[in-house]
Amino acid sequence: MHQLPRTGRLHPFTVLVLAAAVVAITTAAGRWWLHTAVLAGCLLLAARAKRAGKLVRLGAVILVPAWGSHLLIHGLIDTGGGHVLAAAGPLRITTEGLVTAGQLGLRTGVLVVAGLLCSMLIDRHDLVAAVDLSSAPPQAGYLLAATLSLLPRLAQRQRAIGQAQALRGIPLAAGPRGWWRSVRLRSVPLVLSSVQDAADRSAYLAARGFPAKGAHTRLREVPDSPAQCWVRRVALGAMVLGPVALLAPTWVGQG
Amino acid sequence: MSRGNPLFEVELERFRYSGDGDDTLAGIGLSLEAGSLTVIVGDSGSGKSTLGAVLCGMLPRHDGEELEAVFEIQGQTIRHGTGKSVRIDPVGWARHVGMLPQDARHYLSGVRETVAEELAVGLENAGVPRAQMHARITALAHRLGLGELLDRDPETLSGGQERLVALAALTLDGAPVLILDEPLAGLDAAASARVAALLQQLRAEGTALVLLTRAVDGSVDGADHMLRLRAGRCESVPGEQISIPRNEVSAPDRRHSPGTAALLEFSAAELGYPGSAASAVTGLDLLVHAGECVGLAGPNGSGKSTVLKTAAGLLNLRAGVLRQGTKRGAGVGLLLQNPADQLFERTVHREVAFGLPRSTAVKIPEVLESLGLAGTGETHPYELPAAARRLVALATVLIRRPALLLLDEPTEALDAGGLEVLRAVIGKVLDRGGAVLIASHDEGFLIGVAGRIHRMQPVAQAAR
Repeated sequence: MHQLPRTGRLHPFTVLVLAAAVVAITTAAGRWWLHTAVLAGCLLLAARAKRAGKLVRLGAVILVPAWGSHLLIHGLIDTGGGHVLAAAGPLRITTEGLVTAGQLGLRTGVLVVAGLLCSMLIDRHDLVAAVDLSSAPPQAGYLLAATLSLLPRLAQRQRAIGQAQALRGIPLAAGPRGWWRSVRLRSVPLVLSSVQDAADRSAYLAARGFPAKGAHTRLREVPDSPAQCWVRRVALGAMVLGPVALLAPTWVGQG
Repeated sequence: MSRGNPLFEVELERFRYSGDGDDTLAGIGLSLEAGSLTVIVGDSGSGKSTLGAVLCGMLPRHDGEELEAVFEIQGQTIRHGTGKSVRIDPVGWARHVGMLPQDARHYLSGVRETVAEELAVGLENAGVPRAQMHARITALAHRLGLGELLDRDPETLSGGQERLVALAALTLDGAPVLILDEPLAGLDAAASARVAALLQQLRAEGTALVLLTRAVDGSVDGADHMLRLRAGRCESVPGEQISIPRNEVSAPDRRHSPGTAALLEFSAAELGYPGSAASAVTGLDLLVHAGECVGLAGPNGSGKSTVLKTAAGLLNLRAGVLRQGTKRGAGVGLLLQNPADQLFERTVHREVAFGLPRSTAVKIPEVLESLGLAGTGETHPYELPAAARRLVALATVLIRRPALLLLDEPTEALDAGGLEVLRAVIGKVLDRGGAVLIASHDEGFLIGVAGRIHRMQPVAQAAR
C-alpha cells in the first residue's frame, strides 16, 4: 500500500491555536520586548522551515504601508502628547505619539507575521482534511477546499492562457510592461474560462457527493497525538484567560 | 440477451436546448440490463454527449431546456414533460447512473493533492472507512497500472493519465449503470487493454455499460446492443449488420519525400517542466526534415507533449541541443492535446483572429471553410461539438501557415469527416515544403499519414 506524503508532524489546529494564543497574550501584554521576542521567534521558526526570505518579503509588503499609516496618524500629527519634539504647521511630533505608533506597529507586526507563518507552516490539504474530520459542518471543509484551491487553479489557468497566447505570437511576460500587457490580455479570458470551468465541473462535483451531507471520512491522515490535543486545550485556555489575567488589574484599577 | 429486470429504462421523446429551433435528441429508447453493454456510435455533433448528460441527470439544467422523457430507475418512475419541472438530486442519481465525460478532467475535483486522494473523493463523501478505501484504491490501481501515479499531483497528469484516473474514480464511486463517453480516447495500447479488461469485469459483476463513441474500437467487443445516433435520432443496428468501420489502418501517403533541410533537431536532449526536479524526457534524438511527416508514439506519460511544447518554445531545454530550421517559436504551430487549453476567446472569429495582423485576418473565412467550420464565426467555441472545437484550435494554428506543424493527439474526438480534413491539412503543409510532427496513440492514423514513427519510453523505463 502506498504511503501518503507527510508534510509535518503538527496538526493544523495545533499551529493555529498556538498562534492565536501568542497573538492574544502579546497584544494584551503590550510590552515592546515581548512583541520583539515573538517576531524574532517567528523569524527563527520560518528560517528552520526554510521560509525566512518569503516571510520577510510578504511581511514587508503588508507591514510597510501599515506602519506608514501608523506613523502618519500617531507619530507626525499627534495632538494629545505633551512632550513635543518638533512642530511645524499641521505637523506635531511628540514622544507619546511616536510611542503609540511604535506600539501599534509592533502589535500589527505580530498579528501579520504570525498569520503569515501559519500559512507557510500549515499544509492546506492537511487543513482541509482536519476540518473535514472535525465536528464542523461538512460544508465548511468543502468551502475551505474550494477557497484554498481557487488561487492555485486561477494561476494554472492563467499560465495555460499565457501559453495559448504565446503560441499566437504574444510573448510571455517579461518586465513590468510585459507583465501589464499580459494582465490586460489574460484577465477577460481568465474570468470567462474560470466561469466555464466551474460550470463544467460543478455537475460532477455534485454527482460525487460534494458537499457531503452526512457522515464522511478522509483518506488522508492528519498528524495528531494525545499530547497535541492537550497542548491545544492549554493554548485555547491561555488564549481566553491570558488576556483576561493581564488586563483585569487595569480594569480593577480603573474601577 | 436477457439478464432479468432492467436496471435503467429510458423513453426519451425529445430534448431541446434553450434557444434552439430544433430538438437535439428525439425518439430514443434504451433498456439497460445488469451486465449489458450498449454501444452508441455517432459522428461529431450527433448528440452523443447530450444524450449522456440527459441519461446521467445533468440535463436539463436551465428552465429554457425542454425534456420529454420517462425514466424507470430502481423501481421509480420519473416523468419529464413540457411545463413540468422535475428536480433531480445529483447525488441520488449518481448512485445509480455515473458518467465519464468526454473531457475527463471535468470528473476530477481539482481540490485534492494526490491521485489517491482524488480517487477517494466519492468514497469519502459516502463515509467509507479509511482502511476499506485504501484497499479498494490499491486493488483498482493495480488492475489499471496506476500504482506509480497514486502519489502524483492530479494537475501534473498527461491527458491519457487523466482519463484513466477519472475512469478509476468513476468505477470506485460504484454506480450500477455507467455512461462512458469515449473511454479509450488518448490511452496507449497497454492502458486500453487494461480498461477493456476492467469493463469486462464490471459487466461480469453486473454493471450496465453504455459506451458513447465515434468509432468502433476494442472496447465494443461483445456488445449486446449497437445503436447508431444520427442528428439526435437513434437507430438499432443488428449485430450481423454492423457495418460501422473501425479506425482503419490505411496505406501511408507516399506522395511526399523528405528534403534535406532539417526543420527540427533534438540531440541528446533532456526536457522537463519548470518547478519539477525530474526530467520528463532524457536522451532524446529526433530529426524532422522539411517535407516529412513524423509520428511520435509511446505510452501515456512518456513525454510526447513535452517534446512538442519544447519544440514550440513553451518549455526550455534542460540539456542537449535543439536546432530549428525556423526562428525558435516562429514558423512553428502547435495544436495542444486539449482544445480547452488553446481556446480563450468569445467567438470563433475572435479566437482565430487573436494576435493576427489585419493582412492575415482577412484569410480567416477561407481557413474556417477549409476546415468545415464555415458559418461558425460568431459562435462561442464552447458551444461547438468537441470535434469542431479541436478544428477551431487547429484553425488558430493554420492561419499562421507554420513551416513546422506540431499536432498533439489531433484525432481525439474527430469523426471520419474530421479525419479527412486533418489528412488534407497535413498534405497541404507537406506540399508547401513544411513538416509535420504528430504525437498520437492512434496507430492506424499514424501509419496512414507518417513516413516514420519515433517511439518513446517513460524516463524510468528508458533509463533501465
